[in-house]
Parts: sequence; C-alpha cells; structure tokens
Amino acid sequence: MFWFDQLINGLTIGSVYALIALGYTLVYGILQMINFAHGEVFMLGAFAGYFVLLAVGGDDLGGATIIPAIVLAMFVAALASSSAAVVIERIAYRPLRNAPRLAPLISAIGVSVALQNIVLRMTGGRDRVYPRIFPGGSFGFGDFQVGYIQAFLIVASVLMMAALLVFIQRTRTGRAMRAVAENRATASLMGIDVDRTIVTTFVVGAALAGVAGVLQGLWIPNIRGTMGFLPGIKAFTAAVVGGIGSVPGAMVGGFFLGLTETVGRELLSAIPGVHLPNEWSDVIAFSLLVLVLVFRPTGIFGERVSRRA
Amino acid sequence: MRASSRGVRWGWLAAVAALATLVAVACGDDGGGTPAAKSAQPGFKVVAVNKGQPIKIGISSILTGDLQALGIPIAQAAELAGKGVTVEGFSIAFERKDDTCSPEGGTSAAQQLINAGVVAVVGPVCSSSVIASQPLYEKAGITTVSPSSTAVASTKPAGRGVYKTFFRVTYNDAIQGPALANFAQNQLKAKSAYVVFFNDAYGQGLKDEFQKAFKGTVAGSEGFEKGATNFASIVTNIQNKKPDVVFFSGFFAEAVPFITQLREKGITTPFLSADGVRDEQFIKLAGKHAEGAYLSLPSPKLAGSVYDKFKADYKAAYQKEADTSPFTAESFDASTVIINAIKKVAQKDGDNLKIDLAKLQDAIAKSETTGAIGKIKFDAKGDNAGGETPVTFFVVKNGKFEAFKG
Repeated sequence: MFWFDQLINGLTIGSVYALIALGYTLVYGILQMINFAHGEVFMLGAFAGYFVLLAVGGDDLGGATIIPAIVLAMFVAALASSSAAVVIERIAYRPLRNAPRLAPLISAIGVSVALQNIVLRMTGGRDRVYPRIFPGGSFGFGDFQVGYIQAFLIVASVLMMAALLVFIQRTRTGRAMRAVAENRATASLMGIDVDRTIVTTFVVGAALAGVAGVLQGLWIPNIRGTMGFLPGIKAFTAAVVGGIGSVPGAMVGGFFLGLTETVGRELLSAIPGVHLPNEWSDVIAFSLLVLVLVFRPTGIFGERVSRRA
Repeated sequence: MRASSRGVRWGWLAAVAALATLVAVACGDDGGGTPAAKSAQPGFKVVAVNKGQPIKIGISSILTGDLQALGIPIAQAAELAGKGVTVEGFSIAFERKDDTCSPEGGTSAAQQLINAGVVAVVGPVCSSSVIASQPLYEKAGITTVSPSSTAVASTKPAGRGVYKTFFRVTYNDAIQGPALANFAQNQLKAKSAYVVFFNDAYGQGLKDEFQKAFKGTVAGSEGFEKGATNFASIVTNIQNKKPDVVFFSGFFAEAVPFITQLREKGITTPFLSADGVRDEQFIKLAGKHAEGAYLSLPSPKLAGSVYDKFKADYKAAYQKEADTSPFTAESFDASTVIINAIKKVAQKDGDNLKIDLAKLQDAIAKSETTGAIGKIKFDAKGDNAGGETPVTFFVVKNGKFEAFKG
C-alpha cells in the first residue's frame, strides 16, 4: 500500500539519520562543537563493512552464514569508524580544544573534505557495490508489506539506541560522560579523566555511525567517498530539530526528519494545488531546520535534557 | 549571564545551520549560471608563445568525484589529438583542470585555465559547468569547444546573446529529447512515462525536451540531487503509478542506485535514459539490473577511417577501448578542430610564436572537419551543423551495449 510503503521508507532512512545524529549530539553535548566530519566517519564504516563482507565470501554467502558475516561486518565497521574518530579527534580537534569555537568547526570541515577525497582517490572515484546477501522480498499481510532489509535496519537501529540509553544512564563511563557534559572543569576536579571521556564519546558516536554505514550498505548497495556528505548534513539537521545535545532528541529528530521527507512531503502533495515531488525533499528538510532554529532553537527536547548529555 | 551565554551559543548554531543550508542549496544549484550583462565583444588578446615553450590548450573535464570515469577518458582523448603535433616548430601541451561537472567547478577550472595562458579549451564536459563558466571565457576571449555538453541552454543562454566563444561537437538535447520521446512511444509503445531527473542544467534540460515531445501522459516527474543514493520514495511512487516506461535524465552515478532499487522492488518497467548513463560503469555497477536498459547517445561514432584510426591509437595509448564511455571521439574531434585552427592562425614573430585569439575564434567558427564522429561544422549559435544521423540507441544485453535495431 502506497502510504504504508512511504511510512516504511521514512522510518528506514530515519533510522540511518538517527544513528548518525547521535554522534553529532553526543559530541555537541560534551564539547559544544559540531563535528562536521561525522558524515565521513559513517562513510568509512560503510567501506569497512564492505571489505569484511567481501573477505568472508561476498556474493557467495548464503544460508546460515549470513548472520555471523553481517555481525562481523558491523563489528569491524564500528571498530574502523571509532579508530578514525579517535585519530581525527587527536589530530584535528584536541589541539584546538581551547581555541575559539569557529576553529574546530573549520578544522572539521577540512577533515570532511580530505576524507572524501582520500577515499575517492583510493577507489578511483568508482562506486563499490555491497554484496547482495540479505534476502530480498518482504513480509506482512495483504497490502501491508515490509521489506526484510528495511525491517532489519529499523529493528537493529532501535536496539542500538536502546543500548546507548542504558550505557549512558547505567554505566560508570556513561555517568562520566554526563558529568563532563554538565561541567567539564568540575568533572575534572571530581577525578574524571576529561580527555579520556571525550575520546570515549567520539568512539561511541563513531561506532553507531559505522554500524549505520553497514546497515545502509545492506539496504542501498552503492557506496562511494561522497556518500557521507548529505546524510551527515541531514543528521545534523535531525540533531538540531530534536534538540542538539539531547540523546533522545537525536533519535526522535532522525525519525521525524525521515518521515517529513517522505510521508510529510507526500501528504503536502496530496493537498490540491500543491505539488512537491522528490526534489523538494531537501528544501523541506532544511526549511524545517530554519523554522526550528527561529521558533524553537532548543529543538523538540529543549535545553534541560541537553544538559544531561 | 547565563542567558546571554546561551544566546551566544544559539546564535552561533543558527549561523552554522544557515551555512549548512547554504551549502546544501549550493550543491543542488541548477546551474542557472551568472546572469551576465549583455556583454560587448569578447576580450580577445594576442598570445605570444616564447621560444622553447609549448602552445597551451586547456582541458576542462571531470577529474575527481563520482563521474571521473566519464571525464578522464574525455581528457585522454583530447590529449591524443595533440600527440607529436608541432606548429611552426612549437609543440602542444595540454593543461587539465577539474570542473567536477558542477557550476562552481566549471568557473574555478575556467579561472585557472585563463591564468595559465591557454589559447583555447576542450570542454567543459558538463552543461552545468558550461553555463556557469562561459561568461569568464567570453570575457577573456578564449574559445571553448565542448565535446559533450548537450543542454540547449549552452548555445542559447538565458538573458543574453549567444556566446561567440562557445562551440560544441555533439548534438544538443533539442534533438536527443524528442528522439527519446519517439523511441518511448514507437519502440516501447509507452502511453505513460515516469520521469526521474538530476537537478542540474543537463538533467533538467533533457527532461524538459523529453516532456515537451512525449505525446503520452507524464505520470510523474521527480528530481534528485547530486550524490543521491536513496530512491525509495520515488520507487514507491513509480510502483503506485505503474507507468509504461521510466525515463531517467541524469548521470550513471545516480542511475546505478536508482535502477538497483527499482528492480529489487520487482518493478520491471522498461528503463530509458541518455548519454549521461551510457558508460561502461553503469553496466559494471548495476550488474544484472542494467540488463534491458535502453540508452540514447548523440553524435554516434561512424565506422570511418578517422574513427578507426582514433580507436586504434586510443587503445595503443591507454590500453582500453575508446567506446566504453561516451564522448571520447567527440573530445578527440574538439581537440583536432582547435589544433587545426591554431595551425591556420599561428604566426612566427621572430623566435616566438604569435596567436591572435580573435583569429583563432574565427578559424574555429569557419572550420569544416571530417572527424571521428563524421562531419563537423558550426552554425551561428555554435552548434554542430554537420548533420550526420544525430542519435543512436543502445540496449544493454549480456553486459554489453548493443546498438538497438528496431
């Protein structure tokens, strides 16, 4: 059914946005800095997962070997993205920790462009195509059909978000992250290793983005050096819409943006006299960003929650 | 205190968001180009080439990014035409600059080539780059010969007269668009079409020409931005509308994810597209999903002696076939047109060589060449009026482009 399909499309891309948005929001919560290279961390994860899947058999994988292969790909992607984020933080952000805010922002944009072009060089500018190992087809009843891959993507994302919430609320490291977000100087006086906590935050955000890269690759097989740019900016939008600095805000913002682009656009188009085909998606998404910043700059989840990382 | 620091923080965030919006909008720029004033004469100069220096010809092509697989063979083919050529004892050197198939890239490449002192330029490859950069070339009096820009707007710029300094070897979309529409109606018996287009000068221009000529119903027309990979929403709309043909106006970089998602949804509607997709990369990356796709190509290569020699030389020089990507022969011809014109107008000036750019433009405008793609001569707008069969169709069969025989 048309509307149900669009709903699923919106939720699927929304999960990808949400997973990436979490990285923006975590880093912002702790450093008040927009990590514009985060979209490229997502891209690196997609590539890492691709190479793992190729190494373990590529298109020949089948049957019961699919699950461990995908889990391995996600794990390695999370590892690769995290390592990249640690290196980026060390080289491009830490030296600028006490510089004016514009400096790390520009540095982040520089890292983003550099990473895109390094990967484009290494791949000769050509797309790589994920092995199509995930079973095609769909399930459901009657007209309400959900593709297996889309269902997998949504469920896996939600599980990871739940795990993240538990991590932040229930573990020692999570508490340290919240403390540093609250007040870096005080946290440091309380014996929290601030540098380490900041690195942990980058690692967690990057791991989520890396897994998101693999999930998207399993769904949309074409990956390339520039694939992180647009999702990166969209996820940033999602984080702001949800209330940047707020973890639940990033999740809700991601799904909200995904649904706005698909179902929201189609709903508006259903109004007689209004015609908003796909090319308006970005207009709608970024207008939403501007509107939110003008009328509710703290986003859906507002300032209070943002203070709690 | 707290309130003010918060104010600063959000003000700063708003600035970032505005920047992000700008970047995103700029990336989706339709290449409307600079609204150049109705300019006077082009700023032709006389270029002096010192003894021992080469004559410089610029190449504005796609050297990085998703579409470099299209742009690099074009640059190579242009260079092939100048290999070993000397004019009055002066050799020819090519300056390659990257136009990234975008308006910004086009202007940046133009500025660099103008500064480098080139006498003429092969390119730009993409219409979006042509439209944005031609005002600069016109002002500098440097003639460009594009092998591949097909948008009507390249030779019919909005809000100003025709550029004196722009010529193109391939045929434009006012020919290709209707040919595609006819093909959809007559060969594919399509009564309704769903149009998916790249939101740039080429994608929009070709889409407009197709829709103007298509006599059936256009069930829907949706655009996408550069680098788009997620076509789920469009595919759902196509599934809903059940058109007889899907017409894709854009480049292979986005055609690959699009056709993959279309076919994986089980939609078997015929896929029709044009020159931007007729590249070996499309088949390589889309694999089995590319099978049965129909593609048009303007300015077909003719099996003439010039073409055969070009094909053999290209293979010898670069170890690959020239016809795996589009517009290589056109690029070779564009380069040849420029070199022949240089030969005609270059004058010895003591030990140096003098090239009058006004005379060079004139020589190109009046040139008649039998190139690899057949006869090439230019009309008053700079379009190729050679007139040999302008559009051919291909179908993907067993992983190869096969000429379509009705």
